[in-house]
Amino acid sequence: MRRLITVTGLLLSGAALASDGHGLVIKTPPVGSVSRTDGLQAWEKIHAVVSHPRCVNCHTDEQNLPMWSGPEYADVRPHGMNIHAGESRIGAETLTCQTCHVTSTRPNTVPRAAPHTGMEWRLAPAEFLWFGVDGRTICEQIRDPERNGGRDGAGLVEHITHDAEKKGFITWGFDPGAGREPAPGGMQAHLDDMIVWVAAEMPCPE
Amino acid sequence: MKITVNGEMHDVAVAPDMPLLWVLRDELKLTGTKYGCGIAQCGACTVHIDGVAVRSCQMPVGDLEGEVTTIEGLGQPQVLHAVQAAWVEHQVAQCGYCQSGQIMAAASFLDTNPDPTDADIDRVMSANLCRCGTYPRIREAVKTAAASLRGA
Repeated sequence: MRRLITVTGLLLSGAALASDGHGLVIKTPPVGSVSRTDGLQAWEKIHAVVSHPRCVNCHTDEQNLPMWSGPEYADVRPHGMNIHAGESRIGAETLTCQTCHVTSTRPNTVPRAAPHTGMEWRLAPAEFLWFGVDGRTICEQIRDPERNGGRDGAGLVEHITHDAEKKGFITWGFDPGAGREPAPGGMQAHLDDMIVWVAAEMPCPE
Repeated sequence: MKITVNGEMHDVAVAPDMPLLWVLRDELKLTGTKYGCGIAQCGACTVHIDGVAVRSCQMPVGDLEGEVTTIEGLGQPQVLHAVQAAWVEHQVAQCGYCQSGQIMAAASFLDTNPDPTDADIDRVMSANLCRCGTYPRIREAVKTAAASLRGA
């Protein structure tokens, strides 16, 4: 909560600050300095990230199937080995994701091994649906607290810095290792884009 | 570093990024757990960490939290685990290489799902490969073990 308040304060005041926990620099533009056009440009870069296979493969619908798609795969198909994450979205009903995707902050170095992050492997909640969904729909979902885990703008920014602290899924998406194609950009650029988009009041394409 | 395996604490001098499987087999000489693929594609190296099935080839020993159980610690020849007893009853094993991983996966699954459907069993066990194709016997043995654990 303290961190959320800090981020909120920064968004209001305009500042640049590196937090020692996550290693990112929070560069907040002065209030009123970001136009809707700037915000839409930032959104396009955010969309390029969140629509990348590194992200969408685990942002799937209520069928609870992780997907295998992207340049590493010959075609688009559900995760092999008959994997089903269940309503728990962590595989608790049958085989947990963590049986193969262990929790570790060490780099992913082994090609074709089960990737790992510093967070427990799981599907995103089903309402965070990104797989096979157009950009405008994703944009409206991400800015809707009813469908984004109850996050306001500061919460979306904090979501990224928290992930950086944990070396979680967003961090992994930019550095998946072992020959996997990373999402475009990097954590700092993604954070910068999110801050600009939030400062522009989260505009979505028409 | 200290790790607990089958109720016994061991002090092992290894690099923290060494996979648990290597520690079990090469350091502790617990060779019941098998190396199959090294990339979590086959399930031969399955052990339990605090009762949950984990592919030991994927677990850096430096990140291990919890107690490890291997096939050597699941049951004993005179006191078999229900899954092991069912494996004998159904004569599941052919070459046997994958079987310790299969048994560990099944035992963990039945802890949390004592009355599985065939579809449940297939979902869990599909990630454990058997090149001899003993899958029909595996499924029957899991059902027998489930009934045994339920006291049926």
